[in-house]
Amino acid sequence: MPDESSNLTERQIVPIAATEGLMPDRQLSELPRDELGHLAEDLGLDPTRFKTAPLLVAAIHQRRQLIADLDRDAMLDVVRWGRRPVPIDSSKERIAVEIARIKSMKFSGLSQRGLMALARLRDIGVTETEPAPVPVLIRKLRKQEGIFQRFNRRRRSFLGSIVAGIVGENDSTADYKFLPPSPTDGERPVATGSATIKEEIEQSGLIGGISNRIKRTADQYLNQKLDEIEARIDRKLDEIDRRLAEWRDREIANRIRILKITLWASVIVAIVSLIYSYVTTYLTK
Amino acid sequence: MPHIDFFIFFRLVLEIVVGIYATAVTLQSVYGWYVYLQGGDRYLSMIRRYLLVHGLRVRFKTFWGDVVVSILLSVALVILWHAHTVLAEGVVLQNAGRIIQPH
Repeated sequence: MPDESSNLTERQIVPIAATEGLMPDRQLSELPRDELGHLAEDLGLDPTRFKTAPLLVAAIHQRRQLIADLDRDAMLDVVRWGRRPVPIDSSKERIAVEIARIKSMKFSGLSQRGLMALARLRDIGVTETEPAPVPVLIRKLRKQEGIFQRFNRRRRSFLGSIVAGIVGENDSTADYKFLPPSPTDGERPVATGSATIKEEIEQSGLIGGISNRIKRTADQYLNQKLDEIEARIDRKLDEIDRRLAEWRDREIANRIRILKITLWASVIVAIVSLIYSYVTTYLTK
Repeated sequence: MPHIDFFIFFRLVLEIVVGIYATAVTLQSVYGWYVYLQGGDRYLSMIRRYLLVHGLRVRFKTFWGDVVVSILLSVALVILWHAHTVLAEGVVLQNAGRIIQPH
């Protein structure tokens, strides 16, 4: 019989997916430094800014409180603007993780409340109680980026436009599916369209953007093939079931026909026998 | 030397042979299926349920005519059997009358 206490210890050190926001606070401080770093990165924090684990834990706590304070609709505005495929019933923390992955600096199309949410998640000095106008928020967000980062982004954007020109990719607005419903049990999540290759390269760099695009295309291809295989298997199973039902009905009908023939033979023999008995009993004596 | 009625003899032999054969084959088949479906395997449990579902999905329309004919034939067979019994009783009574009132 396994030892209960050792099992408990093993269970405690297994990290739960941070993106779902299921990790109790009690366990957060018990996580190793690298796990804390990943969690902080997922939530949009820079783990290198925090020298010790307790500081990082405190920052994560603070970030979670901030996320809990944010308006869900404003967060969804950001997700829509950033073209991230998030299930519509996702938790706030899950949405915040997706927002943290958005690196775009083109704020056109983003609502004021969305800008506020984005600014708060990017640690710009704004508060919910003092909503700033859109131009001010955009200026603050751009100022936070820094000269070198802006230069690198422009360089990546230039590279992206060259690659997009080589590949011949048009704007992929049409195939973007915003906020798909949550996948049910046994259903694979639907790969959704996202930014253009130019935007991807601008956000993730040349190699990162291209590899992301290849990965997503491969995912879509695989999902499509899996769907086709599943449909083919379903068709085959239906065919087998139909044939089995036909065979069952035919077999039962044959058995009953054999029984009927046997009964006919028995009845005929019984009639002959009765006539014979009658003749031998009453007519021949 | 006893008098042997060949038709009655043939009928009796047929009844015994066919009756025993049919009973043995039916019992053997039923026992085989019972042993097979008794297994505790996961797949056998699935097969049991599948058989049950197929049993419920049987379409009687495809063979209900044969079923009705079989039922009617069974009834006719029972009536003929009864007629045989009545005839046999008549023979017994006739013989008894001959014994009581000799020539």
